[in-house]
Amino acid sequence: MSGLETLRSAKLREALVGYGFVALPMLVFFALFIYPIGYAVFISFHDWGVFGSQGWVGLANYEELWHDDIFWKAIRNTVYYTVIVVPAQMALGLFVALVVNAAIRGRTFFRAAFYFPSLTSSAAITAIAVYILSADGLLNAIVGGNRSWFGDSDTALQSIMALNAWTTSGTMMIFYLAALQSIPTDVYEAAAIDSASRWRTFWKVTFPLLKPAHFFVAVVSVIGALKVFDQAFIVSNGSGGPNYATLTAVLYLYRTAIADIRFGYAAAIGVALFAGIFLITLLQRLLFGRPETA
Amino acid sequence: MRSTVRARLVAAVALAGVLTLATSVAATAGSNAVSGTVTLSGWASNPVETKLLREVIRGFEKTFPQVKVDYAPVSGDYPAAMLARFASRTPPDVFYVDSNVIPDWIGQGVLEPLDTYVRQQGLATRPFFPRLLNAFKGQDGKLYGFPKDWSPLAMETSTRFMRAAKVAPPATQAQLTGVATKLRSVMPSGARPICLSPSWDRLLAFVYQNGGSFVNVPAKRMTVDSPATRATVNWYVGLIKRGLAGTPSQLGVGWCGEALGKEKAAIIFEGNWVVPAMGADYPTVRYATSRLVAGARGHGNLAFTVSYSMAKDAKNKPAAWQLIRYLTSRPGMRTWTSKGLALPSRSDVPPVAGRRPFLADAAVARPWQFAPGFDKVRTTADNELNAVIEGKQTVQGMLDKIEAEGNAALQR
Repeated sequence: MSGLETLRSAKLREALVGYGFVALPMLVFFALFIYPIGYAVFISFHDWGVFGSQGWVGLANYEELWHDDIFWKAIRNTVYYTVIVVPAQMALGLFVALVVNAAIRGRTFFRAAFYFPSLTSSAAITAIAVYILSADGLLNAIVGGNRSWFGDSDTALQSIMALNAWTTSGTMMIFYLAALQSIPTDVYEAAAIDSASRWRTFWKVTFPLLKPAHFFVAVVSVIGALKVFDQAFIVSNGSGGPNYATLTAVLYLYRTAIADIRFGYAAAIGVALFAGIFLITLLQRLLFGRPETA
Repeated sequence: MRSTVRARLVAAVALAGVLTLATSVAATAGSNAVSGTVTLSGWASNPVETKLLREVIRGFEKTFPQVKVDYAPVSGDYPAAMLARFASRTPPDVFYVDSNVIPDWIGQGVLEPLDTYVRQQGLATRPFFPRLLNAFKGQDGKLYGFPKDWSPLAMETSTRFMRAAKVAPPATQAQLTGVATKLRSVMPSGARPICLSPSWDRLLAFVYQNGGSFVNVPAKRMTVDSPATRATVNWYVGLIKRGLAGTPSQLGVGWCGEALGKEKAAIIFEGNWVVPAMGADYPTVRYATSRLVAGARGHGNLAFTVSYSMAKDAKNKPAAWQLIRYLTSRPGMRTWTSKGLALPSRSDVPPVAGRRPFLADAAVARPWQFAPGFDKVRTTADNELNAVIEGKQTVQGMLDKIEAEGNAALQR
């Protein structure tokens, strides 16, 4: 009897110690993440100005959002951006990871070089890109022509997509590299024994074994792409670009909050965006199943 | 015995009370009561401006030795930074407010009305250009700021190309088209005779010249959809479509001042800010400044102006008021505009030499501002204008969209 009690109390003590350690970070997490999200939802039900609530409006903000042409334009831009950029980032990241994983000379240098754009400030990269992609900039000197890539509504968003796919591929490379290096070499030996070509080895052996990495990279990519802001802000000077071309959902939220001083409406945009991202992530999780490894 | 002690006690207390009252009354009366620290904020465009402002502040601190001015400009997004400070109730005492955003800030109640201070001081507001002063009055008629400087648009023409084409700066919109046509033959490839910014903060000046308008705020009605506006937009976009004018992005520059400096345009429409920019970035390019062209209904222009305002939650209001008064006084404004970086907003302070073409439109320039909540309308208007220039939208379609957006904002 007393042995069991001692065991139970020891387990209880262990559990309490565990909870005690986690309590402080959880408190910080709650205060800095959960509470602001809840407060933002609260704000979205009000007409909220600089000094606080100017009246409860219930779902009026969401109703106005539903009929807001500019909001849907922003959503369309953001979804179009995500659908193109995420596969591009993943493909580029995987390709670069494969290159760096191979036993080539100077792989450490290449690893650093490919990862470097992810480290630099996106604002600095975008500021330089504005010069390179201007009508008499470096890109036009190479490919010819006179178009202003960021000033034309047909090419503004696409230019941002290309820029972001390149800069973020470094981060994806790191994830893929870690997964590639965890694949046991005897799988490759088995494929070599079966005289599989390099392409078949990659496509039929490596690629499927990277499924957990694919899931993780896809989820992180999609979440990041749906929240794109700084490039759109810098390229269009905060206005949303020539003819709404670079107006993304978060940029629209920012304009509504700062320029219109309508924090309730901006919070509604934020909540709508959050709900969208949450649903998409949930969908990815359900479709691509539970990852076998963490 | 006791009654004497009591009487003396009462007398002592009464004397103490009277003395306290007297000293407190003396402390609040008179300008030596102004003391403490005053925080001044704004944006800093360039180091020359900051140096001039510090010079003015030094003059103020000499006049009010008990006051210390804490100047801390905001870098980056000014409205975002200021809104955060207003919301946390720790704003600077005195700060810049662009005429563009002041209707929203007044509506949110973050600014202190200055009428009582003006009346107490007996300040004469007549020297200020009336249109500029009215730009900082709220819908309740109260004054919320004093204009620190201003600039309208003027026409800058490249001496080299004008001489090559043997043309003089045009005086009307029709003459502008003619002059541009003659200039086309002397412009190098990649350049256009005129640089036109595809935004309503230039187009609206031409609309005003033709008798059009944008909004009637007291009547809560948009007035932009009119034959005059349609004609102006058709003319403006027509110049671009016919190759007589180019937008900055078409010319490969950031703004039209750069086009003039890089000799990609011969005629541009910019305000006083182009003069120091040209002097600093393109000192070898020679250009002439003339009054902005006139339209079908005579002259019309836009006034871009910024005020010094006081925060409603300012910690040191008496000193803040004295600072505003000094910064916009004759000596203060004379120092501030002495390098020609801005034009004085008072008629009794002469500008530096060569700025007469800007001041010519002082009586007709309308402030670049509308009503609270109009930032979205402005963005819509600019985006729709870009669509019209790219051929993706009709002029009528653009005006309908602007009207719809504007009326929605007015009703809110």
